[in-house]
Amino acid sequence: MIENNSPRDAVVIERTFDAPVDLIWQMWTDPEHFKAWYGPDGASIPTAEMDVRVGGRRLVSMEVQSPGGPMQMWFTGEYREVVPNEHLVYTESMSDENGNVAPGLAEGHPETTEVRVELLEVGGRTRMVMTHSGVPADSPGAAGWAMAFKKLAAHVETHLLR
Amino acid sequence: MAATIDDDRLSETFAALANGTRRAILAHLAEGEATVSELAAPFEMTLPAISKHISVLERAGLIVQGKRAQYRPCVLDAAPLEQVSTWAEQYRPVWEARFDRMDSYLKQLRGPSKGRRAR
Repeated sequence: MIENNSPRDAVVIERTFDAPVDLIWQMWTDPEHFKAWYGPDGASIPTAEMDVRVGGRRLVSMEVQSPGGPMQMWFTGEYREVVPNEHLVYTESMSDENGNVAPGLAEGHPETTEVRVELLEVGGRTRMVMTHSGVPADSPGAAGWAMAFKKLAAHVETHLLR
Repeated sequence: MAATIDDDRLSETFAALANGTRRAILAHLAEGEATVSELAAPFEMTLPAISKHISVLERAGLIVQGKRAQYRPCVLDAAPLEQVSTWAEQYRPVWEARFDRMDSYLKQLRGPSKGRRAR
């Protein structure tokens, strides 16, 4: 896979949970478990459709309370790597409720990030490494800028969630 | 690593970007410098209207308009977007909070009898 060496361009979080690896796998792949923790605080996850196989789609909605009433945001993506209890890779883009990716800046360059989850059972506990990165653009120039705007969208989104 | 984000400047950047015409102008400039009339060509807009958009982008520090000759080509300036590229660091607390919740949820699933988990 493509390594993203720029620390500014990816979040890498390592955690060890006191739970067996198959349960942590379910946290990511079973909609009911996923809804229980995905949050963020103050938000609920009304929708979590997960077709967990390579090329399968995912569609997640997040509902946050705003002064103007509840506000829903939709995210879609595709599973890229599915190795149960070992690793899971999926993409994520903002979308509408039908999973149509919100229009980006440059056509042909979807505004996408990638979430990679790697699991390793260590004596009944599970070490998890989660990497959330921008999908590297094919080339500098227009594609690179499309990515910059994707990052911008992500930034705006995280601010909205506060 | 986590660069300090100048919120005022970011607001200005966002405001400048919150317009399709201006984003298209930036996309054009991402491919190289261009004059105002070159930038205006794809749009059904008057030159003064395009110039207005360019001034907004210029005030936001996203483009620099050359001083030489009457062509005054516009050039993209990446600096304000460099700040934006700390998006990943903005996400970190979101993920940390999620995993805290995952941890409590796991404890809850396991119930009070620690050590005897259902598999």
